[in-house]
Amino acid sequence: MEAPPLNEVRVKEVLALGAESTIYRVQYWGHNFVLKHREPKTYLHPEIDRSLRRFRTYRECKMLSHARTLGIHTPTVYAVDTEDCTIMMEYIDGAQLKKVVGSLAEEELTGVCREFGRSIAQLHHGGVVHGDPTTSNILVDKVGTLWFVDFGLSEMNATLELKGVDLHLIRRALETTHWNLQDIMLRATLDGYVQQYGPEAKEIIKRMDEIRERGRYH
Amino acid sequence: MGLICLGIEGTAHSFGAGVVDDSGNILANEWDMLRPSEGGIHPREASRHHSEFGPGIIEAAVTKSGIDFTDIDVIAFSRGPGLGPCLRTTATIARTLSLQLKLPLVDVNHCVAHIEIGCLESGFKDPVTVYVSGGNTQIIAFAGGRYRTFGETLDIAIGNMLDVLGRKIGIPFPAGPVIEKEALSGREYHSLPYSVKGMDLSYSGLLTAARRLYGDGVSLPDIAFSVQETAFGMLAEIAERALAHTKKTELLLTGGVARNNRLTEILSGVANRHSVLFHRVSPPLAGDQGAMIAWNGILQYKAGRRITVADSHVLPRWRTDEQDILWRPRH
Repeated sequence: MEAPPLNEVRVKEVLALGAESTIYRVQYWGHNFVLKHREPKTYLHPEIDRSLRRFRTYRECKMLSHARTLGIHTPTVYAVDTEDCTIMMEYIDGAQLKKVVGSLAEEELTGVCREFGRSIAQLHHGGVVHGDPTTSNILVDKVGTLWFVDFGLSEMNATLELKGVDLHLIRRALETTHWNLQDIMLRATLDGYVQQYGPEAKEIIKRMDEIRERGRYH
Repeated sequence: MGLICLGIEGTAHSFGAGVVDDSGNILANEWDMLRPSEGGIHPREASRHHSEFGPGIIEAAVTKSGIDFTDIDVIAFSRGPGLGPCLRTTATIARTLSLQLKLPLVDVNHCVAHIEIGCLESGFKDPVTVYVSGGNTQIIAFAGGRYRTFGETLDIAIGNMLDVLGRKIGIPFPAGPVIEKEALSGREYHSLPYSVKGMDLSYSGLLTAARRLYGDGVSLPDIAFSVQETAFGMLAEIAERALAHTKKTELLLTGGVARNNRLTEILSGVANRHSVLFHRVSPPLAGDQGAMIAWNGILQYKAGRRITVADSHVLPRWRTDEQDILWRPRH
Protein backbone atom coordinates (compact mmCIF):
# COMPACT_ATOMS: atom_id res chain seq x y z
CA MET A 1 0.00 0.00 0.00
CA GLU A 2 1.24 3.42 -0.87
CA ALA A 3 1.31 6.06 1.85
CA PRO A 4 -0.94 9.03 1.26
CA PRO A 5 1.05 12.18 0.44
CA LEU A 6 2.06 14.31 3.36
CA ASN A 7 -0.24 17.11 2.25
CA GLU A 8 -3.04 14.90 3.48
CA VAL A 9 -1.83 15.63 6.99
CA ARG A 10 -4.67 17.59 8.50
CA VAL A 11 -4.02 20.11 11.23
CA LYS A 12 -6.69 19.57 13.81
CA GLU A 13 -5.68 22.10 16.47
CA VAL A 14 -2.84 24.14 17.90
CA LEU A 15 -2.08 22.40 21.17
CA ALA A 16 0.30 25.06 22.45
CA LEU A 17 2.30 28.10 21.51
CA GLY A 18 5.51 27.26 23.28
CA ALA A 19 8.56 29.38 23.94
CA GLU A 20 10.41 28.03 20.94
CA SER A 21 7.83 26.19 18.90
CA THR A 22 4.23 25.76 17.94
CA ILE A 23 2.73 22.37 18.72
CA TYR A 24 -0.06 20.99 16.57
CA ARG A 25 -2.26 17.97 16.75
CA VAL A 26 -2.55 16.57 13.25
CA GLN A 27 -4.28 13.60 11.67
CA TYR A 28 -2.64 11.30 9.19
CA TRP A 29 -3.91 7.89 8.16
CA GLY A 30 -6.78 8.55 10.52
CA HIS A 31 -4.46 8.68 13.54
CA ASN A 32 -3.47 11.53 15.82
CA PHE A 33 0.09 12.80 15.79
CA VAL A 34 1.90 15.78 17.21
CA LEU A 35 3.84 18.17 14.99
CA LYS A 36 6.34 20.32 16.81
CA HIS A 37 7.50 23.14 14.57
CA ARG A 38 10.30 25.49 15.58
CA GLU A 39 9.44 28.42 13.37
CA PRO A 40 11.89 31.25 12.61
CA LYS A 41 11.92 34.24 14.94
CA THR A 42 12.49 37.46 13.07
CA TYR A 43 13.49 39.40 16.18
CA LEU A 44 16.60 37.28 16.77
CA HIS A 45 19.84 37.43 14.83
CA PRO A 46 19.25 35.01 11.91
CA GLU A 47 22.40 33.04 12.62
CA ILE A 48 21.53 32.50 16.29
CA ASP A 49 17.94 31.69 15.40
CA ARG A 50 18.83 29.16 12.74
CA SER A 51 21.47 27.34 14.72
CA LEU A 52 19.28 27.12 17.83
CA ARG A 53 16.30 25.80 15.90
CA ARG A 54 18.31 23.20 14.04
CA PHE A 55 20.37 22.10 17.00
CA ARG A 56 17.41 21.75 19.31
CA THR A 57 15.34 19.84 16.78
CA TYR A 58 18.20 17.43 16.32
CA ARG A 59 18.83 17.21 20.04
CA GLU A 60 15.20 16.65 20.89
CA CYS A 61 14.80 13.84 18.36
CA LYS A 62 17.82 12.07 19.63
CA MET A 63 16.99 12.45 23.31
CA LEU A 64 13.33 11.45 23.04
CA SER A 65 14.64 8.08 21.85
CA HIS A 66 17.67 7.94 24.12
CA ALA A 67 15.60 8.65 27.23
CA ARG A 68 13.53 5.56 26.42
CA THR A 69 16.61 3.40 26.67
CA LEU A 70 16.92 4.69 30.24
CA GLY A 71 13.38 3.57 31.01
CA ILE A 72 11.56 6.88 30.69
CA HIS A 73 8.27 7.19 28.83
CA THR A 74 8.60 9.58 25.89
CA PRO A 75 6.59 10.01 22.69
CA THR A 76 7.84 7.98 19.73
CA VAL A 77 9.47 10.04 16.99
CA TYR A 78 8.07 9.21 13.54
CA ALA A 79 9.68 11.78 11.32
CA VAL A 80 11.92 14.78 11.43
CA ASP A 81 12.70 17.62 9.05
CA THR A 82 15.88 19.32 10.20
CA GLU A 83 15.62 22.04 7.53
CA ASP A 84 12.12 23.06 8.47
CA CYS A 85 12.83 22.18 12.14
CA THR A 86 9.76 20.01 12.54
CA ILE A 87 9.32 16.78 14.47
CA MET A 88 6.39 14.44 13.99
CA MET A 89 5.80 12.37 17.09
CA GLU A 90 3.31 10.23 18.95
CA TYR A 91 0.28 11.99 20.36
CA ILE A 92 -0.02 11.34 24.08
CA ASP A 93 -3.56 11.39 25.34
CA GLY A 94 -2.89 13.00 28.71
CA ALA A 95 -2.84 16.22 30.68
CA GLN A 96 0.06 18.37 31.81
CA LEU A 97 1.08 17.51 35.36
CA LYS A 98 0.76 21.24 36.12
CA LYS A 99 -2.96 21.04 35.50
CA VAL A 100 -3.49 17.74 37.31
CA VAL A 101 -1.77 18.65 40.57
CA GLY A 102 -4.71 20.58 42.01
CA SER A 103 -7.15 17.69 41.60
CA LEU A 104 -5.06 15.03 43.36
CA ALA A 105 -5.44 13.96 46.96
CA GLU A 106 -2.26 14.44 48.98
CA GLU A 107 -1.36 10.77 48.88
CA GLU A 108 -1.79 10.56 45.11
CA LEU A 109 0.19 13.75 44.68
CA THR A 110 3.15 12.53 46.71
CA GLY A 111 2.99 9.26 44.75
CA VAL A 112 3.18 11.11 41.44
CA CYS A 113 6.00 13.34 42.69
CA ARG A 114 8.00 10.36 43.94
CA GLU A 115 7.60 8.78 40.51
CA PHE A 116 8.68 12.08 38.95
CA GLY A 117 11.78 12.12 41.16
CA ARG A 118 12.59 8.49 40.33
CA SER A 119 12.32 9.21 36.61
CA ILE A 120 14.60 12.24 36.87
CA ALA A 121 17.06 10.06 38.77
CA GLN A 122 16.93 7.43 36.01
CA LEU A 123 17.79 10.10 33.46
CA HIS A 124 20.56 11.54 35.62
CA HIS A 125 21.98 8.13 36.37
CA GLY A 126 22.18 7.59 32.62
CA GLY A 127 24.07 10.86 32.26
CA VAL A 128 21.12 12.83 30.89
CA VAL A 129 19.60 16.04 32.20
CA HIS A 130 16.20 17.11 30.91
CA GLY A 131 17.07 20.80 30.93
CA ASP A 132 13.58 22.15 31.51
CA PRO A 133 11.92 19.84 34.04
CA THR A 134 8.80 21.88 34.81
CA THR A 135 5.39 20.41 35.49
CA SER A 136 4.34 21.75 32.06
CA ASN A 137 6.67 19.25 30.43
CA ILE A 138 5.30 16.12 32.05
CA LEU A 139 2.09 14.56 30.83
CA VAL A 140 -0.04 12.21 32.91
CA ASP A 141 -2.14 9.73 30.97
CA LYS A 142 -5.31 7.91 31.97
CA VAL A 143 -3.54 5.11 33.80
CA GLY A 144 -1.25 7.53 35.63
CA THR A 145 1.90 6.98 33.58
CA LEU A 146 4.23 9.99 33.44
CA TRP A 147 5.38 10.98 29.95
CA PHE A 148 8.33 13.31 29.55
CA VAL A 149 8.29 15.78 26.67
CA ASP A 150 10.23 18.82 25.47
CA PHE A 151 13.84 17.61 25.37
CA GLY A 152 15.13 20.61 23.41
CA LEU A 153 17.34 21.74 26.31
CA SER A 154 18.46 18.28 27.41
CA GLU A 155 22.10 17.29 27.57
CA MET A 156 24.11 14.10 27.60
CA ASN A 157 27.26 13.32 29.59
CA ALA A 158 25.80 15.47 32.33
CA THR A 159 28.16 16.68 35.04
CA LEU A 160 27.38 17.05 38.73
CA GLU A 161 26.80 20.74 38.03
CA LEU A 162 24.22 20.08 35.29
CA LYS A 163 22.37 17.58 37.47
CA GLY A 164 22.35 20.14 40.29
CA VAL A 165 20.93 22.73 37.91
CA ASP A 166 18.23 20.28 36.80
CA LEU A 167 17.13 19.77 40.43
CA HIS A 168 17.34 23.53 41.04
CA LEU A 169 14.96 24.04 38.10
CA ILE A 170 12.53 21.54 39.59
CA ARG A 171 12.55 23.38 42.90
CA ARG A 172 12.09 26.69 41.07
CA ALA A 173 9.15 25.31 39.07
CA LEU A 174 7.47 24.03 42.21
CA GLU A 175 7.88 27.27 44.15
CA THR A 176 6.60 29.49 41.34
CA THR A 177 3.79 27.32 40.00
CA HIS A 178 2.73 25.21 42.97
CA TRP A 179 3.58 27.58 45.80
CA ASN A 180 0.87 26.24 48.09
CA LEU A 181 2.06 22.64 47.67
CA GLN A 182 5.74 23.22 47.03
CA ASP A 183 6.99 21.74 50.31
CA ILE A 184 5.26 18.38 50.05
CA MET A 185 5.90 18.18 46.33
CA LEU A 186 9.61 18.92 46.65
CA ARG A 187 10.04 16.51 49.53
CA ALA A 188 8.32 13.69 47.65
CA THR A 189 10.23 14.41 44.45
CA LEU A 190 13.59 14.38 46.23
CA ASP A 191 12.58 11.24 48.17
CA GLY A 192 11.94 9.46 44.89
CA TYR A 193 15.15 10.85 43.45
CA VAL A 194 17.32 9.65 46.34
CA GLN A 195 15.61 6.29 46.45
CA GLN A 196 16.35 5.68 42.77
CA TYR A 197 19.75 7.33 42.51
CA GLY A 198 21.27 6.00 45.71
CA PRO A 199 23.65 7.64 48.18
CA GLU A 200 25.44 9.70 45.52
CA ALA A 201 22.27 11.78 45.22
CA LYS A 202 23.33 13.62 48.36
CA GLU A 203 26.07 15.51 46.57
CA ILE A 204 23.74 16.52 43.76
CA ILE A 205 21.18 17.86 46.21
CA LYS A 206 23.93 19.81 47.97
CA ARG A 207 24.88 21.32 44.63
CA MET A 208 21.25 22.26 44.02
CA ASP A 209 21.31 24.31 47.23
CA GLU A 210 24.56 26.04 46.25
CA ILE A 211 23.27 26.98 42.81
CA ARG A 212 20.24 28.68 44.28
CA GLU A 213 22.38 31.21 46.13
CA ARG A 214 24.93 31.80 43.42
CA GLY A 215 23.20 34.22 41.07
CA ARG A 216 22.01 36.57 43.75
CA TYR A 217 24.08 39.54 44.72
CA HIS A 218 21.40 40.11 47.33
CA MET B 1 -3.05 67.29 47.57
CA GLY B 2 -3.30 63.67 48.64
CA LEU B 3 -0.84 61.49 50.47
CA ILE B 4 2.80 62.37 49.72
CA CYS B 5 5.71 59.97 50.09
CA LEU B 6 9.42 60.70 50.04
CA GLY B 7 11.23 57.62 48.75
CA ILE B 8 14.93 57.04 49.28
CA GLU B 9 16.94 54.60 47.18
CA GLY B 10 20.53 53.57 47.78
CA THR B 11 21.05 49.82 47.35
CA ALA B 12 24.17 50.02 45.17
CA HIS B 13 26.08 52.71 43.29
CA SER B 14 23.17 55.16 42.85
CA PHE B 15 21.53 57.33 45.45
CA GLY B 16 18.12 58.76 44.68
CA ALA B 17 15.25 60.63 46.29
CA GLY B 18 11.77 60.80 44.78
CA VAL B 19 8.55 62.49 45.78
CA VAL B 20 5.32 60.84 44.63
CA ASP B 21 1.68 61.38 45.57
CA ASP B 22 -0.98 58.72 45.93
CA SER B 23 -2.43 59.47 42.49
CA GLY B 24 0.89 58.32 41.08
CA ASN B 25 2.17 61.79 40.13
CA ILE B 26 5.95 61.93 40.27
CA LEU B 27 6.69 65.36 41.70
CA ALA B 28 10.46 64.96 41.76
CA ASN B 29 13.03 62.28 41.09
CA GLU B 30 16.63 63.33 41.83
CA TRP B 31 19.61 61.02 41.80
CA ASP B 32 23.35 60.70 41.44
CA MET B 33 25.56 57.77 40.57
CA LEU B 34 29.04 56.95 41.76
CA ARG B 35 31.36 56.66 38.76
CA PRO B 36 34.62 55.10 39.86
CA SER B 37 37.63 56.40 37.92
CA GLU B 38 38.80 52.82 37.53
CA GLY B 39 37.66 49.31 38.43
CA GLY B 40 34.23 48.36 39.71
CA ILE B 41 31.99 49.52 42.52
CA HIS B 42 33.44 49.19 45.99
CA PRO B 43 30.61 48.96 48.52
CA ARG B 44 32.39 51.19 51.02
CA GLU B 45 33.08 53.91 48.46
CA ALA B 46 29.49 53.76 47.28
CA SER B 47 28.21 54.15 50.84
CA ARG B 48 30.49 57.16 51.32
CA HIS B 49 29.08 58.63 48.14
CA HIS B 50 25.58 58.20 49.57
CA SER B 51 26.37 59.84 52.90
CA GLU B 52 28.18 62.68 51.18
CA PHE B 53 25.61 63.48 48.48
CA GLY B 54 22.42 61.95 49.94
CA PRO B 55 21.24 64.91 52.04
CA GLY B 56 21.69 67.34 49.13
CA ILE B 57 19.82 65.03 46.75
CA ILE B 58 16.93 64.73 49.19
CA GLU B 59 16.77 68.47 49.63
CA ALA B 60 16.85 69.01 45.87
CA ALA B 61 13.99 66.53 45.41
CA VAL B 62 11.82 68.22 48.02
CA THR B 63 12.54 71.69 46.61
CA LYS B 64 11.88 70.58 43.04
CA SER B 65 8.55 69.03 43.97
CA GLY B 66 7.39 72.40 45.29
CA ILE B 67 6.57 71.10 48.75
CA ASP B 68 8.01 71.54 52.23
CA PHE B 69 9.34 68.73 54.38
CA THR B 70 6.22 69.27 56.50
CA ASP B 71 3.99 68.29 53.56
CA ILE B 72 5.44 64.79 53.49
CA ASP B 73 3.23 62.04 54.95
CA VAL B 74 5.41 58.94 54.64
CA ILE B 75 9.13 58.13 54.41
CA ALA B 76 9.97 55.04 52.36
CA PHE B 77 13.41 53.52 51.89
CA SER B 78 14.95 50.63 49.99
CA ARG B 79 15.62 48.05 52.69
CA GLY B 80 17.18 45.49 50.36
CA PRO B 81 18.41 43.62 48.49
CA GLY B 82 21.73 45.32 47.91
CA LEU B 83 25.19 46.05 49.21
CA GLY B 84 25.28 46.13 53.01
CA PRO B 85 27.19 49.40 53.56
CA CYS B 86 25.03 51.23 50.99
CA LEU B 87 21.80 49.91 52.51
CA ARG B 88 22.88 50.89 56.02
CA THR B 89 23.70 54.46 54.97
CA THR B 90 20.38 54.80 53.16
CA ALA B 91 18.43 53.33 56.05
CA THR B 92 20.17 55.64 58.52
CA ILE B 93 19.12 58.67 56.49
CA ALA B 94 15.53 57.39 56.27
CA ARG B 95 15.32 56.63 59.99
CA THR B 96 16.64 60.09 60.84
CA LEU B 97 14.04 61.76 58.64
CA SER B 98 11.29 59.60 60.08
CA LEU B 99 12.22 60.44 63.67
CA GLN B 100 12.94 64.11 63.03
CA LEU B 101 9.74 64.73 61.03
CA LYS B 102 7.72 62.27 63.16
CA LEU B 103 6.57 60.42 60.06
CA PRO B 104 5.77 56.74 59.51
CA LEU B 105 8.54 54.66 57.97
CA VAL B 106 7.92 52.09 55.23
CA ASP B 107 10.46 49.48 54.10
CA VAL B 108 10.48 48.75 50.38
CA ASN B 109 11.89 45.78 48.47
CA HIS B 110 14.04 47.23 45.70
CA CYS B 111 13.11 44.61 43.08
CA VAL B 112 9.40 44.86 43.79
CA ALA B 113 9.66 48.66 43.45
CA HIS B 114 11.13 48.28 39.94
CA ILE B 115 8.07 46.23 38.94
CA GLU B 116 5.47 48.49 40.54
CA ILE B 117 6.84 51.69 38.97
CA GLY B 118 6.58 49.91 35.61
CA CYS B 119 2.98 48.94 36.37
CA LEU B 120 2.20 52.54 37.34
CA GLU B 121 3.62 53.85 34.09
CA SER B 122 2.10 51.21 31.80
CA GLY B 123 -1.17 50.58 33.56
CA PHE B 124 -0.33 46.86 33.50
CA LYS B 125 -2.22 44.74 36.00
CA ASP B 126 -0.31 41.47 36.06
CA PRO B 127 2.78 41.36 33.84
CA VAL B 128 5.66 38.98 33.32
CA THR B 129 8.56 41.30 34.23
CA VAL B 130 12.05 41.19 32.78
CA TYR B 131 14.15 42.97 35.38
CA VAL B 132 17.65 43.65 34.13
CA SER B 133 20.27 45.82 35.81
CA GLY B 134 23.85 45.86 37.03
CA GLY B 135 23.09 43.49 39.89
CA ASN B 136 19.95 41.66 38.81
CA THR B 137 18.69 39.56 35.93
CA GLN B 138 15.32 38.10 36.82
CA ILE B 139 12.07 37.05 35.21
CA ILE B 140 9.37 37.76 37.78
CA ALA B 141 5.61 37.26 37.84
CA PHE B 142 2.92 37.52 40.48
CA ALA B 143 1.49 34.28 41.82
CA GLY B 144 -0.25 33.47 45.08
CA GLY B 145 0.28 36.78 46.88
CA ARG B 146 3.97 37.11 46.05
CA TYR B 147 6.18 38.20 43.22
CA ARG B 148 7.96 35.01 42.29
CA THR B 149 11.21 34.64 40.42
CA PHE B 150 10.49 32.29 37.52
CA GLY B 151 13.97 32.61 36.11
CA GLU B 152 17.23 34.38 36.82
CA THR B 153 20.93 34.33 36.11
CA LEU B 154 22.84 31.39 37.52
CA ASP B 155 26.01 33.45 37.80
CA ILE B 156 26.40 37.12 36.90
CA ALA B 157 23.82 39.79 36.06
CA ILE B 158 23.65 41.15 32.53
CA GLY B 159 24.69 44.67 33.54
CA ASN B 160 27.60 43.29 35.50
CA MET B 161 28.63 41.17 32.51
CA LEU B 162 28.62 44.26 30.26
CA ASP B 163 30.55 46.34 32.83
CA VAL B 164 33.22 43.69 33.38
CA LEU B 165 33.59 43.20 29.64
CA GLY B 166 33.82 46.98 29.23
CA ARG B 167 36.57 47.14 31.81
CA LYS B 168 38.60 44.53 29.92
CA ILE B 169 38.20 46.18 26.54
CA GLY B 170 38.70 49.78 27.60
CA ILE B 171 35.15 51.07 28.04
CA PRO B 172 34.54 52.99 31.29
CA PHE B 173 31.73 52.23 33.75
CA PRO B 174 28.85 52.01 32.99
CA ALA B 175 29.71 50.15 29.79
CA GLY B 176 26.18 49.32 28.59
CA PRO B 177 25.44 52.58 26.73
CA VAL B 178 28.81 52.54 24.90
CA ILE B 179 28.42 48.86 23.98
CA GLU B 180 24.96 49.64 22.61
CA LYS B 181 26.35 52.47 20.49
CA GLU B 182 29.29 50.41 19.21
CA ALA B 183 26.98 47.51 18.33
CA LEU B 184 25.13 49.72 15.85
CA SER B 185 28.11 49.64 13.52
CA GLY B 186 28.88 45.95 14.12
CA ARG B 187 28.53 43.85 10.97
CA GLU B 188 29.96 40.42 11.55
CA TYR B 189 28.38 38.09 14.06
CA HIS B 190 30.82 35.94 16.03
CA SER B 191 29.28 32.94 17.69
CA LEU B 192 29.31 33.12 21.50
CA PRO B 193 28.17 30.64 24.17
CA TYR B 194 24.40 30.64 24.45
CA SER B 195 23.46 29.19 27.82
CA VAL B 196 19.81 28.78 28.79
CA LYS B 197 18.80 26.29 31.50
CA GLY B 198 15.04 26.08 31.77
CA MET B 199 14.01 29.62 32.66
CA ASP B 200 17.50 30.44 33.99
CA LEU B 201 20.51 31.59 32.06
CA SER B 202 24.24 32.00 32.52
CA TYR B 203 26.51 34.77 31.25
CA SER B 204 29.94 33.77 32.53
CA GLY B 205 30.80 31.64 29.49
CA LEU B 206 29.74 34.42 27.15
CA LEU B 207 31.90 36.91 29.05
CA THR B 208 35.00 34.72 28.81
CA ALA B 209 34.47 34.08 25.10
CA ALA B 210 33.85 37.77 24.35
CA ARG B 211 37.12 38.67 26.07
CA ARG B 212 38.83 36.10 23.90
CA LEU B 213 37.40 37.76 20.78
CA TYR B 214 39.00 40.99 21.95
CA GLY B 215 42.32 39.20 22.39
CA ASP B 216 41.95 37.80 18.86
CA GLY B 217 41.72 41.32 17.48
CA VAL B 218 38.02 41.33 16.57
CA SER B 219 36.77 44.91 16.20
CA LEU B 220 34.96 46.56 19.09
CA PRO B 221 31.71 47.06 17.10
CA ASP B 222 31.64 43.38 16.12
CA ILE B 223 32.26 42.26 19.72
CA ALA B 224 29.56 44.60 21.01
CA PHE B 225 27.14 43.43 18.32
CA SER B 226 27.80 39.73 18.95
CA VAL B 227 27.54 40.13 22.73
CA GLN B 228 24.25 42.01 22.55
CA GLU B 229 22.63 39.65 20.07
CA THR B 230 23.60 36.59 22.12
CA ALA B 231 22.91 37.98 25.60
CA PHE B 232 19.57 39.51 24.63
CA GLY B 233 18.56 36.45 22.63
CA MET B 234 18.96 34.39 25.81
CA LEU B 235 16.85 36.87 27.77
CA ALA B 236 14.18 36.76 25.08
CA GLU B 237 14.06 33.00 25.35
CA ILE B 238 13.55 32.86 29.11
CA ALA B 239 10.96 35.63 28.86
CA GLU B 240 9.15 33.50 26.27
CA ARG B 241 9.37 30.47 28.49
CA ALA B 242 7.80 32.44 31.32
CA LEU B 243 5.03 33.77 29.07
CA ALA B 244 4.28 30.33 27.67
CA HIS B 245 4.30 28.83 31.16
CA THR B 246 2.24 31.49 33.00
CA LYS B 247 -0.06 32.48 30.10
CA LYS B 248 0.04 36.07 31.30
CA THR B 249 -0.84 38.77 28.77
CA GLU B 250 1.57 41.60 29.59
CA LEU B 251 5.35 41.83 29.27
CA LEU B 252 7.23 44.53 31.19
CA LEU B 253 10.88 45.48 30.75
CA THR B 254 12.42 47.30 33.73
CA GLY B 255 15.78 48.03 35.41
CA GLY B 256 18.76 50.01 34.17
CA VAL B 257 19.45 47.78 31.15
CA ALA B 258 15.88 48.45 29.98
CA ARG B 259 17.32 51.62 28.46
CA ASN B 260 18.87 49.47 25.72
CA ASN B 261 16.95 49.90 22.46
CA ARG B 262 18.02 46.61 20.89
CA LEU B 263 16.83 44.67 23.92
CA THR B 264 13.56 46.58 23.74
CA GLU B 265 13.19 45.71 20.06
CA ILE B 266 13.81 42.00 20.69
CA LEU B 267 11.37 41.80 23.60
CA SER B 268 8.68 43.65 21.69
CA GLY B 269 9.12 40.95 19.03
CA VAL B 270 8.59 38.34 21.74
CA ALA B 271 5.44 40.12 22.91
CA ASN B 272 4.18 40.25 19.36
CA ARG B 273 4.69 36.52 18.81
CA HIS B 274 2.71 35.73 21.95
CA SER B 275 0.08 38.42 21.30
CA VAL B 276 0.72 40.13 24.64
CA LEU B 277 1.09 43.81 25.52
CA PHE B 278 4.60 45.17 25.93
CA HIS B 279 6.00 48.11 27.85
CA ARG B 280 9.55 49.30 28.40
CA VAL B 281 9.89 51.51 31.46
CA SER B 282 10.89 55.01 30.33
CA PRO B 283 14.60 55.80 30.77
CA PRO B 284 14.25 58.13 33.82
CA LEU B 285 12.39 55.39 35.72
CA ALA B 286 14.40 52.44 34.42
CA GLY B 287 17.45 52.63 36.67
CA ASP B 288 17.68 52.85 40.45
CA GLN B 289 15.85 55.95 41.64
CA GLY B 290 13.74 57.25 44.50
CA ALA B 291 10.40 57.64 42.70
CA MET B 292 9.92 53.89 42.54
CA ILE B 293 10.62 53.60 46.27
CA ALA B 294 8.18 56.43 46.99
CA TRP B 295 5.43 54.87 44.86
CA ASN B 296 5.91 51.47 46.42
CA GLY B 297 5.93 53.20 49.81
CA ILE B 298 2.50 54.61 49.05
CA LEU B 299 1.15 51.22 47.96
CA GLN B 300 2.44 49.57 51.12
CA TYR B 301 1.40 52.37 53.45
CA LYS B 302 -2.13 52.25 52.09
CA ALA B 303 -2.15 48.48 52.57
CA GLY B 304 -1.24 49.07 56.23
CA ARG B 305 2.43 48.12 56.20
CA ARG B 306 4.91 50.23 58.12
CA ILE B 307 7.92 49.53 60.27
CA THR B 308 9.38 50.85 63.51
CA VAL B 309 12.90 52.24 63.55
CA ALA B 310 13.86 49.50 65.98
CA ASP B 311 12.83 46.81 63.48
CA SER B 312 14.24 48.50 60.40
CA HIS B 313 17.55 46.65 60.06
CA VAL B 314 18.53 46.26 56.42
CA LEU B 315 18.10 43.03 54.44
CA PRO B 316 20.99 42.69 51.95
CA ARG B 317 19.71 39.34 50.67
CA TRP B 318 15.99 40.08 50.71
CA ARG B 319 14.49 37.85 48.04
CA THR B 320 11.74 39.16 45.78
CA ASP B 321 9.44 36.33 46.80
CA GLU B 322 9.89 36.84 50.53
CA GLN B 323 7.55 39.80 50.71
CA ASP B 324 3.78 39.51 50.95
CA ILE B 325 2.30 41.80 48.34
CA LEU B 326 -0.55 43.17 50.40
CA TRP B 327 -1.81 45.67 47.84
CA ARG B 328 -2.63 43.13 45.15
CA PRO B 329 -5.45 40.59 45.17
CA ARG B 330 -4.04 37.13 45.90
CA HIS B 331 -5.65 35.54 42.78
